[in-house]
Amino acid sequence: MSRWMLVALLVCAASWAGHAQEDSDADTKSKIIAMEHVWAEAYRDKDPRALARILDDGFVCVSSDGKLYSKDEILADVKASDSLQLLMDSMVVRLHGDAAIITGIFRTTGLDHGKPFARRERFVDTWLYRNRQWISISSIVTSTRD
Amino acid sequence: MWIVLCAMSLCVSAQEGSEGGTAATIRALEHQWVDGQSRNNNAALNLIFDNSLVYVEYGKLVSKGEYLLRIKAAGPQISQIVMEPMTVRTFGSTAIVVGTYREKDVTGGKPGVRRWRFVDTWMYKNGGWVLVAAGAAPLTAE
Repeated sequence: MSRWMLVALLVCAASWAGHAQEDSDADTKSKIIAMEHVWAEAYRDKDPRALARILDDGFVCVSSDGKLYSKDEILADVKASDSLQLLMDSMVVRLHGDAAIITGIFRTTGLDHGKPFARRERFVDTWLYRNRQWISISSIVTSTRD
Repeated sequence: MWIVLCAMSLCVSAQEGSEGGTAATIRALEHQWVDGQSRNNNAALNLIFDNSLVYVEYGKLVSKGEYLLRIKAAGPQISQIVMEPMTVRTFGSTAIVVGTYREKDVTGGKPGVRRWRFVDTWMYKNGGWVLVAAGAAPLTAE
């Protein structure tokens, strides 16, 4: 009888550990998605302060016109942002231990020299868990075709 | 004291050597990828790509399976990819590669050259580096 109870306890513990892991992964994915929204809000508000905290100093970004940006250049770009609205969707996070890849789409509307524009772009960002926080180390943005 | 200093110096050298070795390994893998693609060598590409690979190709998101299917279905390659210098940054078991390449192809009977800038993410898994994410954008700002 006690052996069966032990087996039952082990099964429960394994199941609980599995759920805990799933919860933990779900939490991590939610955190990364939330930080992507911080990014969008920074552009909308032309305020790079929050973004500066979640980009690694060695961060690199390639924009949809193939231009290469460093962290400082991205922060300067945020200040000069012409975006009025930035909506993000279709975000999927893939976890790889202390790293994560997120893919998604953002739709930007704004004014460029007084002329309204609308863009739909796809991004692939790489995040790393470092010093007890997630930081982005790279990003690539391309114009969507689908 | 000298022993400690020597040991510390040795550790730093080993670290630098290891970093350089990693960068060289990843550069070689980038070239293997181009080579595998140009030869329609799915077996080679299968080893280089992680199963969860996400790849943005011409603005479209494709999985490893979709990418390999396209390579398998492709005829003799009419486009030629010439890699240019690339930068490898390592963050422990993750590496970011940024570089450019020229794609020479024939569209509508006319030869053309397009230049792309790419960002690839590699991870060290099960004793080897595998590609987990990649994307390229055409250089139009030149």
